Amino acid sequence: MVDLLFYVAALVAVLTAVGVVLARNPVVSVVSLLSCFGSLAVIYLLAGFQFLAAIQILVYGGAIMVLFLFVVMLLNLGGLNPEDEDRDDPLFHDRRRSAGGLAVAVALGSASLIGILRGARHLAEPTNGLVPPEEGFDALPALAEAMFTRYSLPFEAASVLLLATTVGVMVLAKRQRSIPPAGEERS
Amino acid sequence: MTHDWLWLIPALPLLGSLLCALQHAQVLRGRATNPDLQPGVGAGATAIAAMAAAFGLCLRGFGDIVGETELLQSSSWAWIPGGGGLDIQVAMVLDRLSGAMALVVTGVGLLIHVYAAGYMRGDAGYAKFFAFLNLFVTMMLVLILSGNMVGTFVGWEGVGLCSYLLIGFWYDRDGGNPGHAAQKAFVVNRIGDACFLLGMFLLFTTFGTLDYANLIEGIRAAAMGGENAGTLTLAALLLFGGACGKSAQFPLFTWLPDAMAGPTPVSALIHAATMVTSGIYLVIRLNPLFAASEVALFLVAAIGAATALIAGSSALRQRDLKGILAYSTVSQLGYMFLALGSGAWVAALFHVITHAFFKALLFLGAGSVIHGMHEEKDVHKMGGLRRHMPRTFITFTCGAAALSGLPLLSGFFSKDEILAHTFAVGGAWWLLWGVGLFTAALTAYYSWRMVALVFFGEERFDVATVHPHESPPIMTVPLMVLAALSLVGGIIGLPAVFHVPHLLGEWLDPVVRTGNEILEHRSGGHLPHLSHTMEWILLGLGSAIALGCAHLGFHRNKNGLAAEVAFETDHPKLHGALSDAWGIDRAYYAGVVTPVRFLAALVAVFIDAFCIDGAINAMADAAKRAGTRLKAFADGQVASYGLWMGGGAAVIALLWALGGN
Amino acid sequence: MSVPTEHLLALAAILFAIGVAGFFTRRNLIVVLMSIELMLNAANLTFVAGSRLHSSTGAVQVDGPIFVIFIIAVAAVEAAVGLALVIALYRQKQTVSLDAFARLED
Repeated sequence: MVDLLFYVAALVAVLTAVGVVLARNPVVSVVSLLSCFGSLAVIYLLAGFQFLAAIQILVYGGAIMVLFLFVVMLLNLGGLNPEDEDRDDPLFHDRRRSAGGLAVAVALGSASLIGILRGARHLAEPTNGLVPPEEGFDALPALAEAMFTRYSLPFEAASVLLLATTVGVMVLAKRQRSIPPAGEERS
Repeated sequence: MTHDWLWLIPALPLLGSLLCALQHAQVLRGRATNPDLQPGVGAGATAIAAMAAAFGLCLRGFGDIVGETELLQSSSWAWIPGGGGLDIQVAMVLDRLSGAMALVVTGVGLLIHVYAAGYMRGDAGYAKFFAFLNLFVTMMLVLILSGNMVGTFVGWEGVGLCSYLLIGFWYDRDGGNPGHAAQKAFVVNRIGDACFLLGMFLLFTTFGTLDYANLIEGIRAAAMGGENAGTLTLAALLLFGGACGKSAQFPLFTWLPDAMAGPTPVSALIHAATMVTSGIYLVIRLNPLFAASEVALFLVAAIGAATALIAGSSALRQRDLKGILAYSTVSQLGYMFLALGSGAWVAALFHVITHAFFKALLFLGAGSVIHGMHEEKDVHKMGGLRRHMPRTFITFTCGAAALSGLPLLSGFFSKDEILAHTFAVGGAWWLLWGVGLFTAALTAYYSWRMVALVFFGEERFDVATVHPHESPPIMTVPLMVLAALSLVGGIIGLPAVFHVPHLLGEWLDPVVRTGNEILEHRSGGHLPHLSHTMEWILLGLGSAIALGCAHLGFHRNKNGLAAEVAFETDHPKLHGALSDAWGIDRAYYAGVVTPVRFLAALVAVFIDAFCIDGAINAMADAAKRAGTRLKAFADGQVASYGLWMGGGAAVIALLWALGGN
Repeated sequence: MSVPTEHLLALAAILFAIGVAGFFTRRNLIVVLMSIELMLNAANLTFVAGSRLHSSTGAVQVDGPIFVIFIIAVAAVEAAVGLALVIALYRQKQTVSLDAFARLED
């Protein structure tokens, strides 16, 4: 039953990921991606990582995807851009380049799959073959201890990175006021 | 006991130089807004103050070594510290030789600075001039006071640089001629400097030290033991080659007459009184090295005598007032080397000192005349100036009298001592003595020809446009001081027949003792000596020749150009050769400068323009063609770049996935 | 859950390949950014799979989850900066098409 849930979630994740890439409307892409992340959260939960599942929903679903959605709405990209309409395809690159991209993607994906399948026989069976969620080993205390002892330096680095990003985004946003957009007359 | 204040002697003029340079920078900044801005007199005052302070310090040091102390030494600065190998400690050493030289440099230098403050008044580069002049004095003092050959070499190159800067001071005048003269001086000096360096290397590899005191000890031991004779001779000749460049000896003297393109105080200070005598200083400093080699001594004497004769005869027919003095300087420097080649170290320094007095005086007097004549230098266009500039006339005549060796004046005693020494050595030196005596006659003649043409006879300039005038006191007072020194300077070295002590000889005895001992050792125990009778005869002969030729030179020319024109028409070839300095400079141009220029042009056209430029252009073209093809890759599309990157990653991933176990 | 580890890894590989395809084929900058998020999540999934493989009830393998947390933080940062750039570029050209930003001098 639990295993079946995994395969269902996996199928949903793959289908919604394809939807992200293929959707003509960015809003559809955003919503697809949100669903994809949701199914991934389910998989984390099934694997016993409740905390990761929570932040996957909170941070990815709640913060990052809302940010994407916000930008799409802000720029009013819901429909097709009129400027792009005279191109052969407004959404995708020209056929040659798209074919190249698909080839690279297929090559990378198949290489990974081949590697995984060839390496699978070396993998030991998970010792915790069946871990019910209620007994999960996503032990928060152990995670927190590691985070603030062994990983305290990366943790601080991450906080500095966040601060720098905050400042950088503000500078990027502010620059627009001093430099008038191209095409407009300077007043 | 160390005397670190000795470092102040060169440091004070250096400070003055920096202050003057700052003032010049300020003038240049001010000129950006006001192009006609004239520099103030502050720079001159600064430079003079620095010189006076240095002179005072030298006097103090001199007073200290008059007594028992033979030398003062500062603590040394480990410039290139090393264990057993190259170990260079630079210290300032004031001994009896460097003390005397430093006193002359700062003393005469001070007078020339005072004179220059008047002479250069109104020049746009007033502050720059004093910055250079003070820097020169700094370098000259480093050259003299260093207790180490490397320190001397630093000063040696430094004075060369300042000489270059000051000769070319008016580089934009006369169609760039001063700039060309400066380059010539610099390039010709390079030949000598290369010899100096090689000699220095040779001494270091032989004796393992470049400190004068240790070096002299080593040379003394080697010479007394008869070791390394070939090396000593070679080192002496190489160092003499260096001296030839700096002190303008044949065959490297051609730069000095051209160097007169610089301002006159520069000619007086650098090209008459101080820098050009540094070669003599070097030889006296290393007198044991030269004393150890008969060949080197003879070559020094012969080159000196040849230079004296060539330059002295060339001075006869010059029309440029400063040109006469320049050739005269070369000739007198030749005298000094004749003295050194005869082992007469004291006489050489004696002549350096007296020559510094009277030649500086003559140059400054000539500057005063040229100044008063509105930059006219041709003596044929002067005449009768004694009525217009009496003070310059009297002092200039004193200098000419001292130069020509009229009895009892300074030049008489120093020149006579040199000739007497040369005569006393005997052998091949008798021939050189004859040359020296003949040059003395030439000297007396051209000195008085010059006085007669400039100050006597009718006025040959355009009276309507040129109004000769006496120079201001700031210029004439140094002339008077130098005139007094030229007249009485001889008392420091009166000949033995006067039965008074030879002050300079006793003074320098510690410095030259080693050299004399080696000379004595080599000649088997007896130094050349003249009987009193012989000395009286030589004195009388010298006086008679000086007086006779002076009389001749004066009376043939005091009434105008008749004698000049007559000589020119009667002996056109001889006149041409003399006025052209025997064509040596012309020969250099034909034999060296023109081929080198031709070669340079060839290199410029063939090697540079064709080969190197061609190769570089070909490479650039290839890069350009390759770039034209490759630029398709850089189309600015993120997806294209990503594809290349992702394609590479895919290949690696496939290799990893398919390969291996 | 008794799903073998290689199935988790295979899912991650497929998601990653889809992300790569989106990154290379789409013109819309925002969708390109979303493709990058997809690839990052695929990476997260491999960490989770690895951590699950090496953990047992008593001894938790925490390195995997911690890496996931850091990657989520970095992904948030990347999304913020990327979207700020998108807005800046859009203000200049009124488009988010990658083709419009092919030249540095514009």
